[in-house]
Amino acid sequence: MEVNLFTFPFDTIRQQKRMRLLTKIIEKGLARLLGKACIFIFILFILDFSIGSLLRYLYFKQSSGLLYRTTYSLDSTTAQFLIFGSSTANHHYDPSIFEDRMNMSVYNTGRDANTIFYNYAVFQSILKRYTPKIAILDFNVGELKVFPQDYDRISSLLPYYNSHPELHPIIQLKNRFEKYKLLSKIYPFNSLVFTILIGATDFNKSRDYINDKNGFVPLTRVWKSKIRTYSTEKNYKLDSTKIKLLQSFIQQCKSADIHLYICISPIFKKFTSKDVSADIVQKIALKYEVPLYNFSNDTMFWNHPEYFADIIHLNSVGAKVYSDQVVDKIIEQEKSDLMKTIKKPIN
Amino acid sequence: MYVKISYIFIVLFIIIINYWLGILIQQTDSGQRKKAFFYLSLLVNLSVLIFFKYWNFLILNLFEFFGWFHLNNAVSVPLLDIALPIGLSYYIFQTIGYITDIKRGTIEAETNFYRFTLFTIYFPKLLVGPIERANHFLPQLKKKISFDKENITEGAKRIAWGLFKKLVVADRIDIYHHAVIVSSANQSGSTILLASVLYTFQVYADFSGYTDIALGSARMFGFDLMENFKRPLLAKTISDFWRRWHISLSSWVNDYIYNPIVLKERDLGKWGVFYALLVSFIVIGIWHGAAWNYVLFGLLQALAIIYEVATKKTRKRISKKINPVIYNSASILLTFLFVTFSLIIFESDTFSKAINIITGIFLNHGPVFYDKPSTLLFMITGCAIMFLIDIDREFKLFRFSLFSNKSWIVQQIGYALLLIYILLAGVFDGGQFIYFSF
Repeated sequence: MEVNLFTFPFDTIRQQKRMRLLTKIIEKGLARLLGKACIFIFILFILDFSIGSLLRYLYFKQSSGLLYRTTYSLDSTTAQFLIFGSSTANHHYDPSIFEDRMNMSVYNTGRDANTIFYNYAVFQSILKRYTPKIAILDFNVGELKVFPQDYDRISSLLPYYNSHPELHPIIQLKNRFEKYKLLSKIYPFNSLVFTILIGATDFNKSRDYINDKNGFVPLTRVWKSKIRTYSTEKNYKLDSTKIKLLQSFIQQCKSADIHLYICISPIFKKFTSKDVSADIVQKIALKYEVPLYNFSNDTMFWNHPEYFADIIHLNSVGAKVYSDQVVDKIIEQEKSDLMKTIKKPIN
Repeated sequence: MYVKISYIFIVLFIIIINYWLGILIQQTDSGQRKKAFFYLSLLVNLSVLIFFKYWNFLILNLFEFFGWFHLNNAVSVPLLDIALPIGLSYYIFQTIGYITDIKRGTIEAETNFYRFTLFTIYFPKLLVGPIERANHFLPQLKKKISFDKENITEGAKRIAWGLFKKLVVADRIDIYHHAVIVSSANQSGSTILLASVLYTFQVYADFSGYTDIALGSARMFGFDLMENFKRPLLAKTISDFWRRWHISLSSWVNDYIYNPIVLKERDLGKWGVFYALLVSFIVIGIWHGAAWNYVLFGLLQALAIIYEVATKKTRKRISKKINPVIYNSASILLTFLFVTFSLIIFESDTFSKAINIITGIFLNHGPVFYDKPSTLLFMITGCAIMFLIDIDREFKLFRFSLFSNKSWIVQQIGYALLLIYILLAGVFDGGQFIYFSF
């Protein structure tokens, strides 16, 4: 049989097919299943929305603790002198010493286990509100290494996604699907439920490791073992995104006339050779003419295990000694900069 | 992720050889030729398995053995630097079972090549099993599969439970357990003990969680894979434990190794049973990996079951004198502790590491360490939910059940809450960490 394609009743066939499919669906109970699935998704949505909103409320109601310190750093601090970094920043720089000796308000924004991603993000939020005068960026040995967990830890910024658009580029570094995951109201508070619930109570303030002095959390433990030498990890893959962010951090400080100091904190371990990341940071600091103080191989600290809480962190005694040394260096540098400005001929 | 396309040919090779030999075994009338084809299949399957999984282990130990007689100096160790093809142990054991069943005449060889391929590498069970049996799975592949909403909902529920076990329980404990074990020399005994006890929950949640996801996925497509776990942490004896833990492997070993040895060595009486137990559990141990710790793990299980067989009458006499609730609870606790102890050996890659962990539990005095209360709360809540559900299914203790409630809406709310809890407490990436004081 010959078929004329121009007069062939495609629409009727399509309609018949559609009808047959629809009948099949109804027969097989698929429609009922879809209906039930819709109800289930609706219940899920209601629960996600209500629990997520409650968690958001409690999260931002906190007035102490780790999570509160991030909120304070992003939204409230107006300190003239800011300290950025990870746990080494948080436990090593005692703002009271800086305040006493430099007559400035100081806040420590350091947060455990975070890297330049977090520091850069916090810095962006602060720059939106005001311009500090001086900043310290604490840097860790090996920090520029490619380490996927560093990206995962950007999750500490998720609760601020909706209210801080300036954080979006950093949060999207975590995962390209992050913005879709954030459609859930609960997801930003994943793994935080107990911390938020405890954080919203007064009991939270009574916990000694929660208490901070302008962001600084002193450690009380005392390290007792002898110093050991570790073989330096060589030729590890460098993270170009981290390097770019570090450079951008420095450039933004320069253009906003913020006096930036990069410090590598003391650690209680020796390495067989120089760390690649530290080397790169040194080159970047030199390029942008930013003072860099490397205390990671300072023998004075190596001779005092009692200054340390563990091989990476100073305790409260060590933090005082270290903060004093950093202030000495900064005061010296500030004086020298001032002298240079005075000596400059006036055109 | 590591992808090696050429590994597809290994799977194809295994499928073609076993498909072909299976048909040949069935078609041959001569007993000797049947045997020859059977041993050829065994040789091919085991060679592939040994080559990829056990070569380095065998060679290293062989060289060490010759080293005792100073015979290994002239030759360098020919070690392989290759990745293990995914699911290899699972589908090799499955095809060995298939060929053995044809030889025994309990099943007929599959003549449809595509069906046999699907039986061997059906995707939900490829990674973590279960090790399917031909008489259970092949007939399902022959049936016409039609859409069934019951399969979709039940499969989805099973997947949800699997996700809960994996993300909320196993991965959460893993963060703590890993941090403690890598630094066990600096940890207190109570901390190591807690991490070891939690590790038992972790292994169970991890493996049974993956299995639930596999079973749920298969169910959605209309297939029933065999159950692999039946509340093993509530086992009263070690033999009971192995009837509930990785059932597809233990029953496989029972059918294809233990029973044939017992039958062959029946003249030895009890000693034949003990011998069969030793061989079977060493196979179970080494199936998990090519290392001595797995052999030792299997050996420990065998010794425990031998003890149970030897003291069966005495234990029965004692049980009659004690309140059953107390006796059963004590039996569950003792079995759990033994499993926990043997899992310390299972996870330690060297014998000295296992000894250090065990001595650390008894000698390093000090309080339990945890970085923050939420670390403990997350782990305990996850374990408690999983354990309570197992207890309810085992003893039918609770009148009200959220997940098998007669009311459809209550059930939906139950599963929605389960997903919400996964969102709240699941570990989705490597962002979680623990700082220890060392």
